[in-house]
Amino acid sequence: MIVEIVSGGLIISACLAIFLDEAVYSVAALASTFMLTALLYALSGAYYVAIFQFAVGIGTLSILFLSGEMLSEKPTTKTKLSSSVAVGVLGAVLALPAIFISISAPSAAVNAVSFGDALWNLDAVDVVLQGLVILTVAMGITIVLYQRKKSPRPKPKEAVQ
Amino acid sequence: MDYVILSMVMLAIGVYGLLTKRHLLKIFISIELIATGATLNFVMLGTNSLGVSQALLILAFSTDTAVSAVILALLVLIRKKYGTSDISKIVIPEDMEQVGENKEAEH
Repeated sequence: MIVEIVSGGLIISACLAIFLDEAVYSVAALASTFMLTALLYALSGAYYVAIFQFAVGIGTLSILFLSGEMLSEKPTTKTKLSSSVAVGVLGAVLALPAIFISISAPSAAVNAVSFGDALWNLDAVDVVLQGLVILTVAMGITIVLYQRKKSPRPKPKEAVQ
Repeated sequence: MDYVILSMVMLAIGVYGLLTKRHLLKIFISIELIATGATLNFVMLGTNSLGVSQALLILAFSTDTAVSAVILALLVLIRKKYGTSDISKIVIPEDMEQVGENKEAEH
């Protein structure tokens, strides 16, 4: 049941990433797509790939948050809640075939490495924690830049004569 | 639960975004979604008990990340050069010259 919910969330967040108007929100939706993909890998037993997806996703997202802020223009219209809900419903509908139809053999992802081994013996926990620190810094900078872009610039004071 | 259909849906969403969206970042996100769909398919259908499929996937991740970095660098360059992120508004100077020449020939 959890796998089905994660799959549905994956499709919904992918749809949101495409259809949302503001670049920062799109990148946030892409972030949830990456995280849900990593969770899906972990639930299927491919732990090492899950950790790698998590680390690579964090790196990509850090850059994307910053460059997305550079690439996007000043937002003129706000994203409507109703349109976001409509996109979410569309994503849920698109996820239904994957959940209820079966055309191939069950997943054969193998559990070659246990989750504990991958984290501690293969030092993946270092990579993940460093990635989290980098992502936090990038998101902080992005939020500051986004707030600056949204607020109108104050007019320069006239020179005192 | 069928992962082949799931990855196909991801691929379809990515292709739709690639064909319809005009913003550079949206196009990049579409490419990322296509790559995610492909890797999802690879991971879920990996049958090698030695974990070779997972190792190959890590290679695929690395390649994907390198490609993403190059694409992002190009996007930032385009934004700096043309001042817009909308591909329908990008006008290349050579094209403008060509349009000017055609107009002169018509007159």
